[in-house]
Amino acid sequence: MATAPRANELRYLEPAVIGRIGSLELRARTIVEGFLIGLHRSPYQGFSVEFSEYRQYMPGDDTSLIDWKLYARTDRHYVKKFEEETNLDCHLLLDVSGSMGYGSAGVTKQEYGTYLAASLAYLMNRQRDAVGLLAFDEQVVRHLPASARPGHLRRVLLTLDALAPGRGSDVSKPLNRLAEALTRRGLVVLISDLLDEPEHVVRGLRHLRFRGADVIVFQLLDRAELTFPFERPARFRDLETDAEVAAVPPHVREHYLQELRALLALYRRELRLAGIDYCLVDTSQPLDLALLAYLSARSRRH
Amino acid sequence: MSFLFPAFLAGALAVAIPIVLHFARREAAPRLPFSDIRFLQRVPLMQARRRRIREWLLLALRIAALLLLALAFARPFFDATGLAGRPVTIVAVDRSFSMSLPGRFEQARGAARAAIAEAPPGDLVGLVTFDERARVVAEPAADRAAAVAALARAAIGFGATRYGAALAAAARSIGSREGRIVVVTDLQRGGWEAAGAGSVPPGVAVRTVDVGAAAPNLAVTALEIGPAGAAAVVVNAGEQPRSSTVALRVDGAGVDSAAVTLAPGATTVRFDAPLPPAGVLEAAVDDPGGLPADDRRYHLLDRPAPLVIAFVTAGGRSAAGAFYLERALLAAGDDSPFVVRPLEPAGISPTALEGVAAVLLLESAGLGRSARGQLAAYVEAGGGLLIAAGPRLDPALVAEFVGTGSTSTAPAPGGDGALSWSVTATRHPLFAAFDGLAGTLGQVRFRQAVRVDGAGGRVLAAFSDGAPALVERTAGRGRVLVFASDLNNEWNDFPRQPAFVPFVHEVVRYLGRQRRPARERLIAAAPAGVERRPGVVIEPASGRPLVLNVDPRESDPARLTADEFLARIRESAAPGGGAASEAVDAAGREAEQRYWWYLLLAVAVVLVAESWLGRGAA
Repeated sequence: MATAPRANELRYLEPAVIGRIGSLELRARTIVEGFLIGLHRSPYQGFSVEFSEYRQYMPGDDTSLIDWKLYARTDRHYVKKFEEETNLDCHLLLDVSGSMGYGSAGVTKQEYGTYLAASLAYLMNRQRDAVGLLAFDEQVVRHLPASARPGHLRRVLLTLDALAPGRGSDVSKPLNRLAEALTRRGLVVLISDLLDEPEHVVRGLRHLRFRGADVIVFQLLDRAELTFPFERPARFRDLETDAEVAAVPPHVREHYLQELRALLALYRRELRLAGIDYCLVDTSQPLDLALLAYLSARSRRH
Repeated sequence: MSFLFPAFLAGALAVAIPIVLHFARREAAPRLPFSDIRFLQRVPLMQARRRRIREWLLLALRIAALLLLALAFARPFFDATGLAGRPVTIVAVDRSFSMSLPGRFEQARGAARAAIAEAPPGDLVGLVTFDERARVVAEPAADRAAAVAALARAAIGFGATRYGAALAAAARSIGSREGRIVVVTDLQRGGWEAAGAGSVPPGVAVRTVDVGAAAPNLAVTALEIGPAGAAAVVVNAGEQPRSSTVALRVDGAGVDSAAVTLAPGATTVRFDAPLPPAGVLEAAVDDPGGLPADDRRYHLLDRPAPLVIAFVTAGGRSAAGAFYLERALLAAGDDSPFVVRPLEPAGISPTALEGVAAVLLLESAGLGRSARGQLAAYVEAGGGLLIAAGPRLDPALVAEFVGTGSTSTAPAPGGDGALSWSVTATRHPLFAAFDGLAGTLGQVRFRQAVRVDGAGGRVLAAFSDGAPALVERTAGRGRVLVFASDLNNEWNDFPRQPAFVPFVHEVVRYLGRQRRPARERLIAAAPAGVERRPGVVIEPASGRPLVLNVDPRESDPARLTADEFLARIRESAAPGGGAASEAVDAAGREAEQRYWWYLLLAVAVVLVAESWLGRGAA
């Protein structure tokens, strides 16, 4: 196991490090390559590819690819060749509402979500899956239908790069719109902080499941949102509504965390019941945890 | 509302401190962007609202505390008028018992009501009632109904007229404003004190409303018990002789009566009926149509409590130095009006001297500086001290008590029987009881005496060679008598002379007069807490019975004219003294009202509330 190189490469998966890399395409590639290097002996290797043909073994080929049964019959070494699948439509739903613009430690949730979406798009593209993108706040801001055509990844990445923080959020609207538009089996990845009415969100996601889509939900929350570490009295301004509330954090922390835990528990319970993969992501944590969650879910479908 | 020290109101500016801090702290709360404030808005909204309300309450309490504190230090008081600067009319109504002739007080009420109504329209009107004491029964106010209502409540008392008190109270009420005083009275001449004159501030006019007229009146002005029985002095104030009956009662039951013809002026009516040893003796004259209050006079028959006499000798009672004195004081046996208490020099203390009417100092051995100081303080406080020279008394002690400038010399023997003494102050109360027999004192022969310098006091008796024999000196409220020879049959034969016992009795009575509990008082001197009416009352302080009688001077119908009345009034202060008078007036009002005390109490309450609320907010 190559633990040392993994640690070295994984530093590129740190959100703060990724944030300093130039273009989004380069960032996505850095994330995914680094991630894949770390996974090169993982049990996820070989997913989403199908057998194509045999070819005679040449020195330097991976010996694990030698077909030993064929060797027994023919006394020659052949290696298997695989062809990647292209029959899966992946839809990336990225929340760009105002609340996603929050970030207490350098990287906002929207930036984190953008890296995650870009990385997933890059990863999917490598797997020849068709990738679509739907960015939304209270309206659908951008929609790129799923496609596996060459150059589509670049369009997705450019679109992601150009997204600006929006205003209020309504998660159920894009979910319902996408559910109505789905024509074939697909994978839907929702990247959002889900700070919306949970009933609406869950109803929208169930709608997608009803339409046959596999759904993975990444709920992005900042460390400050998860722990409410403030101490001094302050006037907290809502990024979506600009409303303000004065509060003394030590007085309100317990209640805030209680409410948050209740919300997360509700999502966890309701989404599990709906057969939806749910992954809570702390945006201060490396991106590979999110990618691992995706791959784990993806592998269960093959 | 007015303030005694208005400068302290500037302290109210300190309210800016909590206000500035409050808003500074509010502004200091930073704005923080946050993704979603729904969770903060639910509970915290409630908390924040409560907190905001609490912060405002705290601010209000802090401001209130500072304002109340500034207000308390400024010592507020309510000028009864509340209308400083407006002229004042004070109507002063005489309620002395000379107004109790039939219909006279009603006439006074009517005149006062008219005076209130006739006061200039812009004037504030107040009402004062007076006898020996004056009370502002209605503070000056624009609403005259208060004065009219107070007038309706006014009633005649048993006091004597004192115009000075009335004018002083009215002047205090007027303060430094312009004003006028209307005195509704029967214009009794006796209403002015012997040396008295009324005074009013500049700018205050006084006028009188005469509601009196000379009327025939009989009054019992004195009641005494003599060896032959009771004697009542009845005064006929009219110009014609009058026939009347004078009754003598004990505890309300008649014991004697006399039908008398009373010539104008004073008549002594004597009763020879035996009197019981205790009870309240009352002499009453039948005087229809006269003043009822002075028709009776009371006297306490109960034997007065014996006077406590302490004598200081080195050996106390056992010492031979006080033998003759003690025998003289206790000559009446069980009926003696004196109680003798021996006192050792070392035992002289305020506690030991408590209740002692007079101290007889006979020996100086062991009398230290502290004991001498205690004796001096005792005299200052009203005690009586007799210092009798003798072989065991340090002559220097005499100089110490007789005062600066007095000296004493060593005993100067005058030879056996060569020296006698005689009274030089024959009218002195000490010798009043001798009633012309003071010459018997001259039979005393002195073998030895000390020389006392009489310049420090008054010489009451002198030796035949001219040297002072008995010297009196007053110190504070008390008296010191120095007898320049011995009272124990050593330097003279005085104890064996018949004048010795009465002399000793009179000396201790005279010295103990200040400390003898009063048995009879005039209404004006009635102790606090008892009803001010003639008769028997129990003195609250001592629990002893005390008779109250009306002032006989009030029975004198002699009258003044209005001009004579006004001639006795002078301006109380030179122009420019008004401010000082106003300040004194304001201080008096403030001292009466004492609102500062309530304000400080309110400050304490507010601070407790602030502390409680603040702790909850922390």
